[in-house]
Amino acid sequence: MTKRALVTIAKWLVIVLFLLWTVVPIALIIVNSFKRAKDIFTDVPKIFFEPTLDNYVNAFTKSDFGLYFINSTVVAVCSTFIVIVLATFASYGLTSFELRFANSVANGFLVGKLVPGIAMMLPIFVIINAVGLRGTLVGPVLAHVALNLPFAVWLLMGFFRDIPRELEHAAMIDGCTRMQAFWRVMLPVVVPGIAAVFILSAQYSWNELLFSLQLTTLETYTLPVGIASFVGAISVDWGLSSAAATVTMVPMIIIGFFVQKYIAEGTTGGAVKG
Amino acid sequence: MTRIQLAPRGRAQRRSTSSYARKDLRLALYLVLPAAAAIFIVMIVPLGFALIASTFEYSLGQEESAVFVFLDNYAKFFADPVAISSLLNTALFTVMSLFLCMLIGVGMSVLLKSLNPRTGNILRAIFAMPLLISPIIVSLIWRYMYDPTYGLVYYVLSWFGLEEWGGLTDTTTALFSIVITDVWHAVPFIILVTSAGLTVIPEELYEAARIDGAGTIGTLVNVTLPLLVKTLIVLILIRGTDAFRVFDLIYGLTGGGPANSTSSLSIYAYKQAYENNEMGYAMAVAMITLIALVILFGPLMRNSARSKGDS
Repeated sequence: MTKRALVTIAKWLVIVLFLLWTVVPIALIIVNSFKRAKDIFTDVPKIFFEPTLDNYVNAFTKSDFGLYFINSTVVAVCSTFIVIVLATFASYGLTSFELRFANSVANGFLVGKLVPGIAMMLPIFVIINAVGLRGTLVGPVLAHVALNLPFAVWLLMGFFRDIPRELEHAAMIDGCTRMQAFWRVMLPVVVPGIAAVFILSAQYSWNELLFSLQLTTLETYTLPVGIASFVGAISVDWGLSSAAATVTMVPMIIIGFFVQKYIAEGTTGGAVKG
Repeated sequence: MTRIQLAPRGRAQRRSTSSYARKDLRLALYLVLPAAAAIFIVMIVPLGFALIASTFEYSLGQEESAVFVFLDNYAKFFADPVAISSLLNTALFTVMSLFLCMLIGVGMSVLLKSLNPRTGNILRAIFAMPLLISPIIVSLIWRYMYDPTYGLVYYVLSWFGLEEWGGLTDTTTALFSIVITDVWHAVPFIILVTSAGLTVIPEELYEAARIDGAGTIGTLVNVTLPLLVKTLIVLILIRGTDAFRVFDLIYGLTGGGPANSTSSLSIYAYKQAYENNEMGYAMAVAMITLIALVILFGPLMRNSARSKGDS
């Protein structure tokens, strides 16, 4: 066998192994969600079994999973909306007026990304608790805004900065006011940036555990907290938690296929573009 | 939106620049203020509160009996063996996870690029699947994988006679088991971003390297990696800070056990606050986590921010 053929075989072996490593754990939990307990707990993983929807029915009827789903949706939608509105205006304001300190402010926003969740979670918990808003969805919404906003501003500033000044000036010379120029000329150009902010904020909010864990109570649990409560129990109900996990993660995996490009560009603030 | 001012063309130019700038400045302030206020209220105020609270000894609900202890909570941290081991665990976790993630992630990206673009894209999309899964679900998945009786990990290990491996239940292997889970979750992100970085490297450079007779390894070291430096720094920054803050995965997999062998700084602060009811001390641990992050990653951040400004 030639050296070239050996290299090709080695390459594909690595790829197949990595494919199994990526897909099998996910597939396992999805398959488990359709299994009865007797089929889950076997010494040799069972490939053929009689599928059942019992776990899904249980998740929605015996636990408050449906409620958690609604809570998570409300929190993700509200926090993402607030982040997008505030970040878009702020980043435009910081870039388009040739402010002297714009760059320092941008880097200051970026430092916000260094703050560990726990250092914000404890004080926010104490404050929310003191003003009696614990157990409402206000806590997680505020926390998610706090965590996503600095990075969103920094990211969008990069997008606004890439727009040639002349574009805006031309619109204003044609009689647009500054805000009209913003709505009609600038905003359409930064839509990819806003898309990145939308995806990053929404997925963060949807998946976030640490803050919601203590800021919510039984009626306001979000999905990650609900799932953590299934896992944390002394005996894990694998069927039910697998069903809950599947319902929570499958939409994100599907969305992920479509938005990978934005995530790659977004998380690095366009830095990878060179 | 319907009314368009049809001002004569000369007017905007004739207006004096100073009054123009002042009007603009006010508009800019109005635009920036809401975001600045939001960040002040939900970030700066809590951090300030945490800093002050970290100098008190108190428990939740008993604020009136709080005792001002100044830096005692910080001194306590360095005399507390579990706190120190949490710090070491966090550092070890970050180093191991970062190293494995970068190695596997960059390696796979380069490998994928050598395939034909269509196959590469399909595989990349599949490899990205773990990316958007919530860490708590990742820990659920892997708790099942690591289950000593029914888990797939032990099933596979038994083929090689390694079913005695400690996994999540042994103090010597638990942290590494969590690192593996973190790698599973984070490598897709590295692949995605590195692949984006690879596409901007001009094909001519590879052409030139080939003509000069450079081998696969030579091209990787002399052409690919130097041009990826900027991307890699950003990745190290994002992944490093994420790993250093690790909470969800540990919370879901081991809760910091067995015998605190997987306790990270975030987990330890959380436990001090909600299990030991030492709010002041918990805040101090959280502040130390923040300080450690700034010391470790601040220089890197300044570096990447500056290089972006230059370009």
